Amino acid sequence: MALAIQAEGIYKTFRSGWRGKKEKLVLKGIDLQIDEGEIFGILGPNGAGKTTLLSILSTLLLPDQGKVQVLGIDALQDGHRIRERVNISSGNANFLWSLTVRENLHFYGMLYGLTGKQREEKVNSLISLFNLEEHRDVPFDQLSTGMKQRLSLAKSLLNDPAVLFLDEPTVGLDPSVSIWIRDQIRSIQKERGMTVLLTTHNMREAEYLCGRIAFLKAGEILTTGTAETLKRMVRIGDIIRIEFKGKFSEDPLLRADGVINYTLSDNFCEVMVDEGEKRLGPLVALLIQGGAQIEKVTLGQTDLEDVFIEFAKETDSDMGLRL
Amino acid sequence: MTKRNVFSLFEILFWPVVGFLSVGLLTNFLELDADMSGFILIGIISMSVTQVCQIDVAYVLLYDLWSKSIKHTFIAPVHPFQLILGSWLIGVFRSFIVFLLLSVLSAVAFGFDFLRPGIGPLSLFLLGLFLISALVGISVCILVLLFGYKADVAAWSISSLMALICGIYYPISILPFPLPEIARAIPLTYFLEYFRSFYGFDGEAKTLLGLGFGLTVFYLMIEAFLFRVVLYRSRKNGVLIKLSE
Repeated sequence: MALAIQAEGIYKTFRSGWRGKKEKLVLKGIDLQIDEGEIFGILGPNGAGKTTLLSILSTLLLPDQGKVQVLGIDALQDGHRIRERVNISSGNANFLWSLTVRENLHFYGMLYGLTGKQREEKVNSLISLFNLEEHRDVPFDQLSTGMKQRLSLAKSLLNDPAVLFLDEPTVGLDPSVSIWIRDQIRSIQKERGMTVLLTTHNMREAEYLCGRIAFLKAGEILTTGTAETLKRMVRIGDIIRIEFKGKFSEDPLLRADGVINYTLSDNFCEVMVDEGEKRLGPLVALLIQGGAQIEKVTLGQTDLEDVFIEFAKETDSDMGLRL
Repeated sequence: MTKRNVFSLFEILFWPVVGFLSVGLLTNFLELDADMSGFILIGIISMSVTQVCQIDVAYVLLYDLWSKSIKHTFIAPVHPFQLILGSWLIGVFRSFIVFLLLSVLSAVAFGFDFLRPGIGPLSLFLLGLFLISALVGISVCILVLLFGYKADVAAWSISSLMALICGIYYPISILPFPLPEIARAIPLTYFLEYFRSFYGFDGEAKTLLGLGFGLTVFYLMIEAFLFRVVLYRSRKNGVLIKLSE
């Protein structure tokens, strides 16, 4: 499959203070390959460098070092050609405050070279797609946060981009609007087959939307993979909790397949396993064979949030051992 | 973009008319002769035309600056010079309306005939003013990309400062050193002297016009270069992102 985005050795430093003497290294040698038609997530805590990376890939920002190709075009040499085929939508969207929804879309439509009837039809179809009909003549500064975000997404589709950059698209939105926006992103991507690069610190969003996810922390990509791969990689596993009566020795737990860790008390056992659904049956059978009377069994599956917490921990050295 | 913005109506009509009438009435009160009144009225009309036109050029970035939407403009595949040209043409249209209104007012209220030099010289004079407006507007855009929000004051101050130095109501010879030398480096000085030469004031029209346009083209080339450099710098240091947050 062809690559939509290829980044190699991206470094970025921001300077501040008197004569730019304060330096902050924000990206430290980022390598990234994103396939065409993929929804790729960049997940990381605040200040990890997500927006900086996205800004570089979308040609808004130039790196200090490194190579960037978007749709096979060199972003550092030929940004203008890339800008014809990409677009961006950000959380906490800002547009020209005195223009209405419709006028804003027309304004940006003009910037993307749309004219006359073609622009009118495109604007109307996007207003309809994002259920903005009732707000089409409302000035931007009078829109709710959710409506602003809908407008932002509508604007980002004006040029039918081959690559869409979404910078925290649901930040600050209430859950129902967030779910609606995620569903829209997923269905639009499926329908149009565009490549989507999404930054977020919302794990559920990443898990729901993204085929692959890169964990970015302190300017470095710690790892990349599918949500399932990352869960396995971190090895924090699923938790099986068993309440029982009777005596039970811990020997079977030591021999059981897939057990990462466990705690055992008089009538309660908590076992961390690699794959909960696969290990649950054999584990319960072991306990029964060992003389325990099972009273209650619950399976707590790891979600990406647990993985995120593990990755975001300050103990970088531990992380290195795990990986 | 500006149709619901009350302030833009002030810029188009209110302030130019108020400024023009107050200066015109002052010339009446001072009982200046027709030529001297004309000298001053040419100044005030030039300033109004320049201010209205240059602010439209500056609005290319100012509206985005105020709305924090600058990144959406710069991620679009439109060349910044296309944006500036489009805004300048709107500015030319709006300031031409201002000029028409003020020239009619000057004829009716103060008996000053703006058409006395003829359509040709008047057109060249207005073209000079429009190009100077582009110079001022682009310089505001450069300052916005360099200094962000701190620079929006330049949109109103540069043209006023330029008018002060270039002899809007007086010949530059009365200015203290080194202001006359600075004025000689600003094309507005030559366009004002050019147009005033048709009303009996000193000056070789062709020379003044040549100097005015020569300097204007020279500065436009410098600004085009500077704008590219500053835009590159703002993509490098993240100003486009910071101004959108």
